[in-house]
Amino acid sequence: MLSSHICVNLRYGGNKTMKLIITDIKDFNTSLRLSIKGDYQVIMPHGNIHHCIGCFGCWVKTPGTCVIHDGYETTGARMGRCSELILISKCCYGSVSPFVKMVQDRAISYIHPDFVLRKGEMHHKRRYQNVISLSAYFYGDNITQAEKQTARAIIAANADNYDGLVKNICFYKTAKELENITL
Amino acid sequence: MKIALINGSPKTNRSASGTLLADLQKYITGINTAPESLKPEIAEYSCNIPAISDKIIVELQNTAVLVFACPLYVDGIPAHLLSCLMQLESANWKNHSIHVHGIVNCGFYEGIQAEPALCVLQNWCAKTGLIWGGGIGVGGGGALMQMPTMENGHGPKAPVEKALRAMADTICAHGTQENQYVSIAFPRFLYRMAAQMGWRQMVKANGGKTKDLGRQNGG
Repeated sequence: MLSSHICVNLRYGGNKTMKLIITDIKDFNTSLRLSIKGDYQVIMPHGNIHHCIGCFGCWVKTPGTCVIHDGYETTGARMGRCSELILISKCCYGSVSPFVKMVQDRAISYIHPDFVLRKGEMHHKRRYQNVISLSAYFYGDNITQAEKQTARAIIAANADNYDGLVKNICFYKTAKELENITL
Repeated sequence: MKIALINGSPKTNRSASGTLLADLQKYITGINTAPESLKPEIAEYSCNIPAISDKIIVELQNTAVLVFACPLYVDGIPAHLLSCLMQLESANWKNHSIHVHGIVNCGFYEGIQAEPALCVLQNWCAKTGLIWGGGIGVGGGGALMQMPTMENGHGPKAPVEKALRAMADTICAHGTQENQYVSIAFPRFLYRMAAQMGWRQMVKANGGKTKDLGRQNGG
C-alpha cells in the first residue's frame, strides 16, 4: 500500500463537460496555484491506495466498480462522466508515477471487457458514450528524450484504448511550472 | 552465472507471466554452456506488491541477469512493479554489467501493444545504469495458460516458445538482442470469441447476467 489518496469533488455541476484530474501531487488544491477552467474533480494522494490485483472483479463481479474498497473504486465510473481526463504526474521512465498508474490500473472498468478492432488492432469496447480528451502534464528534473518518447507513446495508446483523443502532452522540470498554464 | 527470474504479476499463482518464466527457465536449463562460469544458476522472485525487501535487492544486485515478466496494464507496466523499480533504482548498483530482459504479455492479440511497457523497462535500465538485453512483447496472453506445450515448432504457443528460446540463448551467452513482438498462432477472431465467452461464463459464475457486463455506474 502506498501512502496516498481520495477523490475531492470541486465545482462539479453534473454536466458533461467535467474535467477529471488525476495527480500524484499531495494537497493539489493548495500546494499549486493552478488556473482551471470549468467544472472539475481531482483524484489525488490521500490515505492508502491498493494496487490492482488483476482479479477482473470490476468486469465480472461488480461490473463498473472495482472490488477493492479504499476510496478509489469508482474512478472508472467517474471517467464515464468526464469530457477531459488530465494526468498530472512525475515522469517515471516514461510512465506516469506509481500513484497515478495505480488509479489508472484500478479504473479499467471504464471500458468493457469485450474486444473490438480499431485501427487494425484489438482494443476493448467502450462502456460509456463519452469521448475523453486526454492530456498529460509530466514533471521531473531529468526527463530524457527516450522517456519523453515513451510517455507520448503511452498516452497515445491510452487514448486508443479509451477510444478517446490526445489533447496535450507537456513536460516540465517542476510541478510548480504548471502554475503558468490554464488547464 | 546467476539469473533472476522476477514475476511482476500481482497474482500469487496461475499467472501468464509465471507460465512464460517457467518456459524460459526450461529452455535456459536445457542449454549446454561451455564455460563453467556461464552455467546458469536460476533464482525465482515474485514481485506482487509495491515494495521489495532490502534482502532481495542485495540478491538482485549480485546476479548477472535480471528477467522481468509482467502483464500489460493500461499500456504500461503494473503500478506495483513500477513502484518496485523506483525502489531498485534508488539502491546503490555497483555492478553495471548486469543485463536486464523483459517479457510483457498482453490480453490483446497483438504483441506490439506491449512495446511502450518494454520501453519503460528499457528506460529504467538507462536510469539505473544497467544493460538492456532485449525483451519480448507477447500477444494473446489471456490464452497462454490454457494452451498445451507441444513438440518444437508446433501448436498455438509455437511463436511464443520460439521467442523464449531465442531469449534463453541470448541470456546464456550473456548477450543482448532486439525486442521481439509475437502473437499466439491462433486466429484472432477465435481468440476474441473465446475471450468473450469466458467473460460471460465468469459473470454468470458470479451470479450476474450477460447484460451486466455492460453495466454503467453513476460513480
